[in-house]
Formats: sequence, C-alpha cells, structure tokens
Amino acid sequence: MINPVEFAAGWLHETLVVPLLYAADAMQWEELGYGWTLFAAYGLAQVIATYAICVPLERWRPVERWPDRGAVTTDVLYTLISRVGILPLVTFVGFYQAQVALNGFLTDHGWVPPTLERLVPALLGQQALTFFLYAVILDFADYWRHRFSHKLRWWWALHSLHHAQRQMTFWSDDRNHLLDDLISALWFGVVALLIGVPPLQFPLLVLVLRLLESLSHANARVSFGWLGERLLISPRFHRAHHGVLAAGQRSCNYGAILPWWDMAFGTADFSRAYVETGDPTGPEVLASGGYLAQQWAGLRRFAAAALGREPGRNEAWQRRRA
Amino acid sequence: MGSERNTSIMAAGRPAPARRGCASVSGGFVRAPRALPWPVPGAWHRVRLAVRARPAGDGPGLAALVCLAAWLAFGAGPAAAAGFAVVVNSADASLSLIDLAHQTEIGRIPALREPHHLALTPDGSALLVGDTAGNEMLFLDPATGAVKRRMTIADPYQFGFSPDGKFLVVNGLARNQVDIYAVGSWQLVKRLKLSSMPSHLAFAPDSATVYVTLQGTDRLAAIDLRQMTERWEVEIGKTPAGVLWNRGKLLVGIMGSDYVAVADPADGKVERRIRTGKGAHNLFLSPDGKLVYVGNRVDGTIMALDAATLAPGRSYAVPGGPDCAAFAPDGKMWVTQRWARKVAVLDTVTGAYSSIDVGRSPHGIWLSERAQ
Repeated sequence: MINPVEFAAGWLHETLVVPLLYAADAMQWEELGYGWTLFAAYGLAQVIATYAICVPLERWRPVERWPDRGAVTTDVLYTLISRVGILPLVTFVGFYQAQVALNGFLTDHGWVPPTLERLVPALLGQQALTFFLYAVILDFADYWRHRFSHKLRWWWALHSLHHAQRQMTFWSDDRNHLLDDLISALWFGVVALLIGVPPLQFPLLVLVLRLLESLSHANARVSFGWLGERLLISPRFHRAHHGVLAAGQRSCNYGAILPWWDMAFGTADFSRAYVETGDPTGPEVLASGGYLAQQWAGLRRFAAAALGREPGRNEAWQRRRA
Repeated sequence: MGSERNTSIMAAGRPAPARRGCASVSGGFVRAPRALPWPVPGAWHRVRLAVRARPAGDGPGLAALVCLAAWLAFGAGPAAAAGFAVVVNSADASLSLIDLAHQTEIGRIPALREPHHLALTPDGSALLVGDTAGNEMLFLDPATGAVKRRMTIADPYQFGFSPDGKFLVVNGLARNQVDIYAVGSWQLVKRLKLSSMPSHLAFAPDSATVYVTLQGTDRLAAIDLRQMTERWEVEIGKTPAGVLWNRGKLLVGIMGSDYVAVADPADGKVERRIRTGKGAHNLFLSPDGKLVYVGNRVDGTIMALDAATLAPGRSYAVPGGPDCAAFAPDGKMWVTQRWARKVAVLDTVTGAYSSIDVGRSPHGIWLSERAQ
C-alpha cells in the first residue's frame, strides 16, 4: 500500500530537491536531503492532520471567541517555520551528524553507544513497543526541560514568548523564540543520543509527540475525564499551565504528553478549568507583535536577564487588568 | 552510557582483548549469535525449505526428502521457489526478503539503525550487512537470511572483499576513514584517514590495490593493500560515486555531473569522459561482461555502455533514484529505487520494468541466485 506522505516526499525529492542539489554542486548531501524532505513532508502532513482535528474541536466548544484573530495568524507562521522548516533542518543536519560523529567516536574508543534495543534485545523488531518506550523517556526529559525553562531567569526570558499569547489555540504550540527552539532541540538531541534514539525514527517520534502537544493547546473545552486526564494531557490540563496565574518562574502542569511526571513531582494541578491565558509580566509586543518584533523583543529580554537586569514588563496590560 | 567493550575496533596493531561473557571472542561479537524473529509466511517457509534442500552434489538423501516434503506440503517444487533477494532498507532499519520467483516481499529482518550495503564473504558462508549508524555488521546465513552474528564496527558504509579473499575493506563515509580487516579473524589491520566521505570502492584484480571515491573532496584514492598505505589521491570529478575495474581501466561515476570518468589505475589520470546522464552514480558489469550499466541518479535512467569500447548504448528509464543492482538468473536487472520504496525488475531486452514494494530508501541488494 502506498504511503501518501512518503510518495509525496519521494516525488518532491526527485523533482525539486535533487535537481537543486545537482545545480548547487551539493550532490554529496543527496542522501541526507532525502531525510530532510521526508521529515518536511511529515511535518506538513502533521500540520494538516492537526488542523483537521483541532479546528472542528475549537469551533464545537471554544473556550473563548475573539473578534480579531491577528495574534493567531502569527502563530500559524510559527508553526510552518517550526514544522516544515527549522525543525527538519536542525534534526537532519545537526542531530544526525552529531549522532553519527559521537557514536563513531565512542565506537573507536572501544565503547558501544547505548541503545534501548541493546539493553533489551527482545525489543528488536518490536517497533510499536520500542517507539512507546522512547516516547515515555523523551517526555520525561521534556518535563524537566520545561521546568528549567521556567525556573532559570534567562531561559524564562525566552520561554515567556510562548506564554504571552492571550489567544491560545492549537497553533500556539510552536510559538517559541528561535533560541528557545534551538536549546530545546539540543536538549532533546542530547537525551536522544544518550538513549540511542534512531536518527531516522527520531523525527517521526517528535512529530507524533507534537501532534498531541498541539491538541493540548487547543482553544476547546475538552477534558479527558478524571482517569483520562491522569493518563494523557488534555487541553483543559495544559490550559492551566498557560493561565495568567501560572505564568512565570513558579508554574504548574509542565508535562507535554503525560501528566505522570507532574503527579510524581508535585506540580500537577487538576483543579483549574479553562482559565484566562497570557503573561501579564511580559511586554505587550510578545503578545500582539509580529513575528520579527517578537523575536527581537525575546532576544533583548534574554540578554537583559543574562546580564542580571530586569526584563521589560507588560505595563499596558497590567493597567487594563487593574 | 553503554558499557560494552568493543573488541574488534581497537586501534590498528593492538590485539583485541577477549570480551567478557562473549560467545565468540574472535569476532568481537556484541552478543552470542542468534537468529532473530521475523514473520514467516507460508511462501517464505517454502523458499527456505527449497533453498536448504537444494542438492549439494553429494547425491540424494535428506535434502531430496525435504524437497519432496516441500513439494507435497505446498504444491510446488523447488524450481518455483528459485531463491530470494535481500534488500537493505536504509531509512527503515530493516532488510526485505523477496521471493525471486513471485517477486513479492516475504519477510523483514530488523536491523539496528541505518543499514546500507551488503556483500558475501569469500567462502560464501555469510552475507554481511553493514549498519552505519548502528555501528554493527550483521552476519546473515546466505541460505536462509537468518541473522547469525552481530559484530561491532565503526560506521560500515560501503565495503568489499579483496579478490584474494584476505581483506575486508570498509568505507566509513561519515567518519572519513577506510578500515581494513583481516577476513576470518575480523581484526582491524589498518585504519586510513582520508580527506572526506569515502563512498564506493573497487579492487584491482591482483588484490594489490583498492580504489576509493571521496565524495566530499571530488577525489579518487588508491590504497596499497600490501603496504597498507595510501598510494595517491587525485581529483576525479564532482562528487564521485561508483567505481568499477573494467579491462585495465577504472570507470568512475561522476554524480555531480553527467559522465563516467575513465581513469588510469596507475595514477588516476582521467583519460576519457563518457556522457551517460545527470547524476552518474553506480556502475555494474553485465553477467556476460559485455556491457557496463550506469545508473544516473538525477535523470532517473540507466545507460548501457559497451564494456570493450565504452560506446554509449541503450538508455532505460528507471525513476525514483536508481542505485544498487544485481542480475537474476533470468537475466533481469534488479535495481533499488531509493526514493520510491521499490525495487525495479528491469528487462534489458524490452526496456520494461515492474516494481516490488520494499521498505524506505532501499539501497544495497543481493540475490541468492544470480545470472552466471
């Protein structure tokens, strides 16, 4: 049976990417280029699938309705850059090369790079189970990355861009500062290197995880029930994390896919339901500015925090709220 | 971090210590040889029986009885199950097993990360499959396809055996190195660091030299297998790929351009350029030695050259990134189509081809029965 995404990726590679590489005298990267094309095709497919799932949900049971959805449009741009552009590039050029280099170095020095399948040989060939285990480990790692991004002042200065959105929708998942994205990719990459995530399996793993992450940001009154919310993070659970009271260095509900880590480490809050979102402490430009303005403001806040100064505050919104 | 010691990839000249708890220390295997589980549908079971049952020239006996049992059980004789193909799905971390007669995939063998190429050992006892990102060499039983051993090895991309059967030469594409192993003991004899991205290789018939294309620096290198040193490295053309020894000359596919470079094996000097198509990649000699087939990656074609004169002949359309090829007993050419997840079975007489679905990014291919 033909996989339409891979068929499209193959066609795109053959008719566009390879001729471009040939024209640019870069045919030595053709093989890596195919991986990038595949990832980008899956990224686009994921955006389409997320749209198809989340838009009906948001229309069916919206938490909020906004007459002007300008801020959401900016988030659409974030998503396309992240899922079809930047992320594939980081993953395939950066992560793949780094893993090959590190694994080769370790092997040269007499160490077999670790993999789950080597630790548990029975996993070889058990793709679904292996995939699930890798997902659980990576989600655990992401919980701590997220906690640190709130806890550390300089990191929060970057991450607050993600929290500034008052019109939170499924598009908001990718609204991140590029530097924050880069740090996250490095974090994810290092953890993946330590547990030996296969380079060509890794992007698919990320895409599946991020499909669920997008759903958790949806502007929809959707809960998974008492038990379901303790198994998988719902839009209701994650919205509490984006609430105005949770913005900043002390927050709750840091998990991305599984709420288990919040429950285990005492940061879960199941009591808040469909709260107002946004970051009253950040400057207005982070909430309603254009893409470039947000990136620039985020960089300035990061620099200020790194130098020990006070990052800008959202005086206008605070006045309105007062 | 992993704690297993690698015994086969020690620095050249140093003996490899025995590995604790290892079933066989000579090869430095990660763990005891074992067959891996894979789906065994009826057709594949029949193929395995038939392959195992083929008489080895020592008269009828158990093999003939098994043949008869297979025929009785499945309603077809061993002639119908003519053998199988192993296709390496590089981006799927798996190997596809294909029934040659029925041209359908009959099983999958999991690899660890990213396998690319494969080659039969000189004594025919094992089919080696290199897993680059997995840093592993799989030893398959060429009669059944079962995994017998796994050997830890750094970045085994393209590799081959010297014609005298003494050395296994392994190109580490991502690590800019060429490793030379002693066949049998599988100990590293020499590691040579080359300029960039060693890709394909070809041996001189006397086994004195191995030629390696360097894709990152557009060069061709000659390695002296007697002195274990690099003899020369010369510029050969943009992104050189496949290299083939043909009638005292070296033919090199110039993937960054549209031609095959004809070089002097003595010094690598390019004597002629034969235009074949954009992205000239891999080269294969026909079973009768009369034709050289050149796969053109960008154009999606395969061109036949007269092996004696190198005059361009017929061109076949094989889209989807044609790469490695092998010839079946019926003379048809089996070609992996990297971006189409397929293997094309090309009839070089009619120019028509059919495709078989396999895994993602199929690269190396090996047939248990080949045209002579």
